[in-house]
Amino acid sequence: MKIEIKDYCIRCGICVGLYPELFAHNFEEDCIDVLKDPDTDELKQQARDAARDCAVTAIFLEK
Amino acid sequence: MNLTADIVIMGSGAAGYSAADAALQKGKTVVIFEKRPFQGGVANCAIQYIVVRNEKAYQDKAFHLLYEYGNYNGNPKVIRRYVDNSWRTREFIERLGVKMEVADAVPLEDLGAPERADGFPPAINVHGDDTHALGRGRGHGGALVGLYAMRDIIKRGGTYLLDTPLTDIKLDENGAVCEAIGVHNKTKEEVHVSCKAVIICAGGVQDDPEMIREHTGFTYTGKDAPNGGNVTFNCFPNTKQTGDGHKLAWKLGGAVGNISIEGHDMIPGPGIETSTAWITYNQFKIMTEQPYLWVNKRGERFFDESLSNNHISTCRGIRNQPDRVSYMIFDDDTRKHLEEKVDYFYFVFPAEKLTDVRGQFKDLIENWGNKHVFMADTLEEICAQAGISEEGLKKTIDRYNGFAASGVDEEFDKPAQYLRPVKKGPFYCMRIYCGGYNTIGGIRINGDMQVIKENFDPIPGLFAAGDNVLNELYGNPIIAGLGAAYFAMPLGFAAGDCASEYIDRL
Ligand SMILES: Cc1cc2nc3c(=O)[nH]c(=O)nc-3n(C[C@H](O)[C@H](O)[C@H](O)COP(=O)(O)OP(=O)(O)OC[C@H]3O[C@@H](n4cnc5c(N)ncnc54)[C@H](O)[C@@H]3O)c2cc1C
Ligand code: SF4
Repeated sequence: MKIEIKDYCIRCGICVGLYPELFAHNFEEDCIDVLKDPDTDELKQQARDAARDCAVTAIFLEK
Repeated sequence: MNLTADIVIMGSGAAGYSAADAALQKGKTVVIFEKRPFQGGVANCAIQYIVVRNEKAYQDKAFHLLYEYGNYNGNPKVIRRYVDNSWRTREFIERLGVKMEVADAVPLEDLGAPERADGFPPAINVHGDDTHALGRGRGHGGALVGLYAMRDIIKRGGTYLLDTPLTDIKLDENGAVCEAIGVHNKTKEEVHVSCKAVIICAGGVQDDPEMIREHTGFTYTGKDAPNGGNVTFNCFPNTKQTGDGHKLAWKLGGAVGNISIEGHDMIPGPGIETSTAWITYNQFKIMTEQPYLWVNKRGERFFDESLSNNHISTCRGIRNQPDRVSYMIFDDDTRKHLEEKVDYFYFVFPAEKLTDVRGQFKDLIENWGNKHVFMADTLEEICAQAGISEEGLKKTIDRYNGFAASGVDEEFDKPAQYLRPVKKGPFYCMRIYCGGYNTIGGIRINGDMQVIKENFDPIPGLFAAGDNVLNELYGNPIIAGLGAAYFAMPLGFAAGDCASEYIDRL
């Protein structure tokens, strides 16, 4: 599974705050970094939850 | 890159997109410069919109309430702009397809009623209907408004220049605005837009500690309060709100107005909120809402604590204390009470009761290393750790416990149900500072939303709206009323109208 973040992401940090294993603020580049491809069932579930929790539907998951 | 537009807008937040909408409605072309790589600004945080209905009697009453709220320091022409354009906020948000829910419809006869339990101050929250924009996921509706507004404005011919701060505005030989210049953050390409008007909607100064110190006298604690300080802000991290609009307006000769802290008392330091202001690690934000004993460093009470969920009166109280700091203290009986039922419910952090208060204190102190909360078996230890005068606190508590026993607060007339004695250890204490979501004010405008000089002459073609002018609504308190998207948007619509009318008159 791969995580893609669209450019209209508002850097609100909801994903970073709730799923720190997958997302981090990159203050230098002013963007959100995806830290890794979710490779376990638990991380895959977190990625799905993040897509659900995102404020603007900016998180997309590719199988 | 060279572009031409009737109106350039600095900032794509609440005031910016509203100004663009109004200008497009008047047939004008618009270019929006946005410093960040994405749309919406701080307005992406907003959920609650107070809306003054589009009825003359309602608007008139709201006008009087707001004017009175600022002790008649506000500019009544700007207040009028707000109340008369407020209904457009809801109309715009709904037009974009974001659902709005009226949480509290306030009928005309109830406007201005003093009693509210939801944390918003009298005469500021009761000038209209309490309406919530529904977001998706864990986000607030404001985030959808910012995104859908951008898509809508682009569809109607507007241009968004993202990641491109506006850095300069040129005046022609008559002193009128003729060009706006920005620079792309990454490519460093300059963008020149030849234009007839610029509307400054660049938000507050909360990320510029030097401006905060100079204009408010507060010292910014910084994220997680590493350097002391006595004011803390509560927003997304890294919002880069550095008063760029203020600096440009002032450079062009605009008068320097007061900058106020928006007013939202807070415990600084790590472990309180996640990177998103409304998702917290624990329930301390609810504890600081509660109406128990609050004291200053001298151990003295300083306000009627039944106002503790009114962030503005609380912050005004704190601001007037030594070192601008306060403490809330409760005992183990009150801890048990909180685990059965909180006295003040706050819709942003909803909970009917708290869980494991002791565990939460322990976690914050031991695991997060937060230096602003304390738990100890004796009041002496609390005083030593927190830096409160032991003699002063003991005197206060003796008297306060007497009030609790008699049910009469002879000092501040706090209602009996909130007079909970402080008797039985362990004791719990939180150091609470002033804070805010943002700052407001700093750019002076007239009733036609034009930026004015010290002598009140307008700078032709230069307009402003949003947080950076909001002190025109209240006058110049050090702790303001709310800086809000629901104020920024109506003023944005008004600025879009006024700039379009100015161009029509040229
Ligand atoms: C956590 C939180 C919750 C809030 N909740 C609510 C709420 O429920 N209801 C409510 O009404 N209000 C709420 N507010 C307040 C509200 O968000 C602000 O009052 C509102 O966003 C102000 O709008 P604005 O357009 O003046 O500024 P902003 O929305 O801050 O927009 C200013 C824009 O200008 C941009 N900018 C700055 N400098 C430049 C430059 N040089 N060039 C180009 N662009 C620039 C910024 O990047 C930003 O996008 C909340 C605020 C916070 C922090
Ligand atoms: S939750 Fe969505 S909008 Fe917010 S930072 Fe994450 S990806 Fe961006």
